Amino acid sequence: MSAWIGQFFASYSNIIDLCLLNSLIAYGLFLALSANMFSLATGGFMALGAYCSVYCTMELGWPFAPAVIAGSLLSALGAALIGAPVLRLRGDYFMLATFAFTEVVRVIALNWDSVTGGAIGIVSIPRYTETWHLALAVVVILYVTYTLRRSYFGRAIAAIKQDDVVAQSMGVNVFAHRLSLFIASGFICGAAGALAAHLNYFIGPSDFGLLRSVDALIYPILGGVNSLVGPVVGAIFTTILPEALRFSNQLREILMGALVVAIVLYLPGGAMSVLNLRRRRTGARGVELAAQPGSAKT
Amino acid sequence: MSTFLQQLVNGISLGSTYAVFAMGCTLIFGVLNIVNMAQGAFFMGGAYFGLEAARLGLPAPLVLVVALIGGGLLGVVSELVIFRTLRARGGHRWMGLVASLALARMMVGLAQEVFGTQVQRYPASGVLEISWEIGGVRIQLLQVVILVVSLMLMALLAFVLQRSRTGRAIRTVAFSEDVARIVGVPVGRTILITFFLAGALAGASGMLLGNLFNVVSPFMGEQMLVKGLTVIILGGLGNVPGAVAGGFVLGLIEVFSVAYVSSSFRDAIGFGLIFFILLVKPNGLFSGFVERRA
Amino acid sequence: MVALLLSAAGAMALSGAARSETPVKIGIVQATSGGSAALYGLMQKNGAELAIEQINASGKLGDFKLVGIHQDDAGDRGQSVNIFQRLINQEKVAVILGPTLTTSAFAADPIAQKAGVPVIASSNTAPGVTDMGDHIFRTSPPEAMVFPGVLAYVKKKYAPKTAAQIYGIDDVLMKSAYAVHKKALEAEGIKIVTTESFQKGDVDYSAQITKIKAANPDLLVIGGLAEETANIVRQARQLGIPPSTIVVGANAAISTKLAELAGAAADGFTVGAGWFINYDSPKNKAFVDAYRKKYNSDPDTFAAQAFTSVEIVADAVKRAGGVSDPKKFRDAIAATKDIDANNGKFSFDDHREPVIQPKVLIMKDGKFTLASD
Repeated sequence: MSAWIGQFFASYSNIIDLCLLNSLIAYGLFLALSANMFSLATGGFMALGAYCSVYCTMELGWPFAPAVIAGSLLSALGAALIGAPVLRLRGDYFMLATFAFTEVVRVIALNWDSVTGGAIGIVSIPRYTETWHLALAVVVILYVTYTLRRSYFGRAIAAIKQDDVVAQSMGVNVFAHRLSLFIASGFICGAAGALAAHLNYFIGPSDFGLLRSVDALIYPILGGVNSLVGPVVGAIFTTILPEALRFSNQLREILMGALVVAIVLYLPGGAMSVLNLRRRRTGARGVELAAQPGSAKT
Repeated sequence: MSTFLQQLVNGISLGSTYAVFAMGCTLIFGVLNIVNMAQGAFFMGGAYFGLEAARLGLPAPLVLVVALIGGGLLGVVSELVIFRTLRARGGHRWMGLVASLALARMMVGLAQEVFGTQVQRYPASGVLEISWEIGGVRIQLLQVVILVVSLMLMALLAFVLQRSRTGRAIRTVAFSEDVARIVGVPVGRTILITFFLAGALAGASGMLLGNLFNVVSPFMGEQMLVKGLTVIILGGLGNVPGAVAGGFVLGLIEVFSVAYVSSSFRDAIGFGLIFFILLVKPNGLFSGFVERRA
Repeated sequence: MVALLLSAAGAMALSGAARSETPVKIGIVQATSGGSAALYGLMQKNGAELAIEQINASGKLGDFKLVGIHQDDAGDRGQSVNIFQRLINQEKVAVILGPTLTTSAFAADPIAQKAGVPVIASSNTAPGVTDMGDHIFRTSPPEAMVFPGVLAYVKKKYAPKTAAQIYGIDDVLMKSAYAVHKKALEAEGIKIVTTESFQKGDVDYSAQITKIKAANPDLLVIGGLAEETANIVRQARQLGIPPSTIVVGANAAISTKLAELAGAAADGFTVGAGWFINYDSPKNKAFVDAYRKKYNSDPDTFAAQAFTSVEIVADAVKRAGGVSDPKKFRDAIAATKDIDANNGKFSFDDHREPVIQPKVLIMKDGKFTLASD
């Protein structure tokens, strides 16, 4: 039995790591989305975290933990710097500005050869990231998010999500709340970038482009932006899907797309809204209201 | 001097393909306020529709029509299958992004299955290889043709939006769906027509770009989508004349940053500028004549 | 899980056969979806599967039967690592061919190295790939092995004084090709007058070419894949770069696509290669014919190199008497010497790099022909 477990882990450890890593990223985005910030900055944040932490471990010889923290802090700083002006923009302009940020970071990474190695990237990065690091990070972020949602801060955020003009008029400092969430999102994505860099021996600018940012958004949205476990569900589903469909080499892309479309169409509130559907069918109206944690009532 | 003029020609020619594509994007993203990531896939689809038509030996204008209609139909399909269903079921706007991205992925996969992964080209045509040299500046007949066609498409769209009944309906829906319903505009049909127009523009630009640069591949839409988003920022969301101007501006920025700064910083300059524009003039460079949106 | 079922089905099919056969599992990790990597992945998958089919049919391995297990990593190195782990630990493959992209190789090869499973790449040409360990081989000649010879030929024939470089800045392969080209040009004392770059997915190179034209170089050195190179060459001639400017390309640009996409503009295009389609040997003719028959298209250099990879495996299986002893099998691969391959005699050197005679090719009327002095 233990041999079987050993073999299972050896065969699938990378998938497990990726699921955890993507869950972490998903929470970074979940925080941003919970205040209606549709952020495409993930790729840029992860790049900051990854390059900074690798520079710390490989050039400066720092231990792993401070390097990850340095990467996360740099990324959080980046979030603060771009967030302060960009958060004034409404809706889609915010999305486009964060997209421009990610692309600028990618192009700088491509050209700053002495630090980033350009397109060739950085190879032979020591593999410090262990599965338990990732698992711990996910548990911590899950706990923090859970606590946050029950706090005054969380209720203010929920109000902003409903309608930021009304929230503002009720005395919520919308800008400060959104900025702090955006910085937190940057911190988490930076940490994820740092952990990812020390997981796979190699980083390069192509890891952190628009594709990365869009994927990161898909996790929490597909899982359900109103549910605490939505991001994990979305991240795991999206990570496992290409592996699960591996039997069909030819039609894999098409099947993958079709499956996602089907989920979106049948569960327009995200995968976790499956629970809501069931509750609604039992007819418990009160439960249904409580099952919308996005509202200020929870 | 002749180098400068040549770069100007290069920029305008590149910009015209961006402009046509961006007009479609701005109709969907800005006017209808829908995030449709499959727009790049319609662009790719149009290029393949055109390619097949050209291989059948159809004359060039008909090839363009095939690409227009093909791209338009893809747009209609995406609205019917995804966006309309999502609206009916009360899905969040963000879900449209996820679903359209998945749709784009399916279309790329399908194109790979049907046409193969390899890059293909439009059949060689002697007429289109003609070029002139005027004062040290090379101008291809194809560039001129494409510029003219692009301008015609832009004029046509402007006419439809400003003068026709459909155009008024689209602008009303863009202002507010509820208002549109109250004044008796058939909202569903109007949105469908807008999707057709946006898809047709994407398809046409796919065919034009495929011809001009001799490249048709299943993956050609991805980069174009990035360009489209960029142009929308430059021109202002939902601003159709802004998208046209933004397309030319982006083409010129790209070419001149290669010419006078460095080719490796081309995109950094482009995106840096965009970031700057968003901070200083978030409604786009051409917000003077911005159309109203909800 | 499904892969398990499939292999179980495969095993049943085997036991049903009249002879008792020992399967030798070969993992083929090539991208067949997800971006332009698929182009090269598909070619290599085809080449490898053709070789497996031919070797099994020929019966020259006796009781051993090669079983190819292809997995698509979609050019995503997260998936490459997933696949490597599964192929090694679950499928227990004897050897892995691939992966398509060098970035995937840097992430996934260390896993195979650690597990003692040999990896033979047929499209990784960046430096440092075989430095990852003594189990990492490649049949794709690195640019540094090919380009200096091409340049020496060009210098002897045309005596160029100046050169312009253009390369793909966001592609590992091309970025490293660029460095090789630059070093070789400097070594030959040719002055580099301008350096331009482009990015993946670019289709318009007119701005860069106009700049190059203004610098009026004797040589134009392109670090690009086949489609990119074809487009650059075509646009260069369209914008009036004269035929007296010799265009030289990177190893990866060798493809029949080049002539198809660039047309007459590609005439005179000079490039170095380990293999080319018109290489005149019975072995290569048979390979090209069989490939055309099976896939209804022309093979390219990557297909040819993947084909060779399988032949190396077959040869090593024979010499090591099977794959039951991994160490012996690895050593047998490392000892590969003078195999009759589709590009002449093939051997590995001490650093597990291919030892081949690079050939200088010139495009003439849409066909690559051997350069005559």
